[in-house]
Amino acid sequence: MRAKAIVAVLLTFVLGFVLFSSTANAESAAADPEKVWVRSSDAGLKSDRKASSETVAVLPFGAELDVLDYENKWYKVSTKDEEEGWIYRGKVSKEPVESSESGEEGLLGDLAASSISADAADSSRSMRGLSPEAKAYAENTGTSEKLQEELDEVLSRQADSAQISEFLKNGEIGEFAP
Amino acid sequence: MKINRVVDELDYKTDNERALMERRTFLRFALPLGLCLASPAYAMDLFKILDPEGKNKDLQKAKGILEGAESIVAGSVDLDYESELAIGEGLALEGFKRYGLSVKNDDLQQYVNLTGNAVARNSNRPTIPYYFVVVNSPLYNAFSCPGGIIFISSALIGNMQDESELACVLAHEVAHVGHKHALKSLKRAKFLEGVGKISETTMKKDEGKKFNSLIGNLQTVLFDKGLDKTMEYEADLTGMETAYRTGYDPQGLIRVLNMLKAKESGANKKGSWFSTHPPLDTRIKKCGQKLSEYPDSGAMARVRKRFVEYRKKL
Repeated sequence: MRAKAIVAVLLTFVLGFVLFSSTANAESAAADPEKVWVRSSDAGLKSDRKASSETVAVLPFGAELDVLDYENKWYKVSTKDEEEGWIYRGKVSKEPVESSESGEEGLLGDLAASSISADAADSSRSMRGLSPEAKAYAENTGTSEKLQEELDEVLSRQADSAQISEFLKNGEIGEFAP
Repeated sequence: MKINRVVDELDYKTDNERALMERRTFLRFALPLGLCLASPAYAMDLFKILDPEGKNKDLQKAKGILEGAESIVAGSVDLDYESELAIGEGLALEGFKRYGLSVKNDDLQQYVNLTGNAVARNSNRPTIPYYFVVVNSPLYNAFSCPGGIIFISSALIGNMQDESELACVLAHEVAHVGHKHALKSLKRAKFLEGVGKISETTMKKDEGKKFNSLIGNLQTVLFDKGLDKTMEYEADLTGMETAYRTGYDPQGLIRVLNMLKAKESGANKKGSWFSTHPPLDTRIKKCGQKLSEYPDSGAMARVRKRFVEYRKKL
């Protein structure tokens, strides 16, 4: 009986140790990933841990990056083209980007082939009025010109990348935080 | 349930045979059903392997059910972006009719547009353009149209305290667009079945009427009934994540929900977040649980001063 009890205690200890170490490893991997993936439509690789530093490269959505270091909300990474630099943590994910998440086809590694390119996210490049289909809908439903003009105005409002960066900088938000 | 009914209709000679056949039938259905949830196309391929000549009535019956589900999912999710936006534009026109015209202040509109676009580029769907508009409405409301046109009422902004609260609400709406919740909620969108692209030709004659009917159904979902509560919870959590990734305090969403809770008893509920969204207490609880993932959320930006300046322009 005593031998069985000792074996049971030993097994419990070993099992507990294995479970603890695997959990610890998982936590360590989560806090300190070896790879991250670009999850922002505006991801600049910076020469330093500052948004105001030089932009080494503009990284495409979904790009895989090797993590070299992590310091105060910034990852030091290298790209497939072996460019090194820093990227703010909010621009990347610890999980690969799946095409279903973005909703558009051809985004992974082939932005040019996509019907919606990264540029399209910049609404200044996509200034547009009401689509012909929506105009047809407006006519079919007797929607007034005034309402169509309201929507036209909304669709033609600009928010380009430079304006958004300036906006975040003025508010000291994210990568522009002190 | 249908699987059980089909099994019950089968006539077996002995209990043992019956039990064995039930297990086999269950396995035959379970695998394609599981695959259908993951990928309808794989499930259909498996049906071909299991019953290549289509002789098994039960399998064919199940296949029919799954094919129906597949066409609805494919029809609503695989629309191209331009078509999705065309639907969104139609719905946006109805949004103006229902909730009023935009607030006539360019500075305010651009401020909200910049806040919305700042979070949108870190959202779960950052690769499309987003458009934001503040409308003059006494209702506490915000909603998103497919394709990325997002409305927020003057009353909702007017009762917020800082930019992080605005950013979180806009991120919640962006999340709905990213997850394509409105389109997914159309369970019987006949117009969308087999239609990958909406064009001017599609808008003529009967097809135009179907488009109108589709917009009508979307209005009912977004303006009256509300989206499924699981979609709302998902948008809450995705929105908090998006706001946090951008650099805003994700607790902004919880503060807005608490503000709404305080206003709830005296508010006009029809067509507002009160009637189209799940109970505030549940949302606050779920968002509170999510906060454990953001240990430094208290140190993230709230930006009160700038927000208050623009709020005066309402």
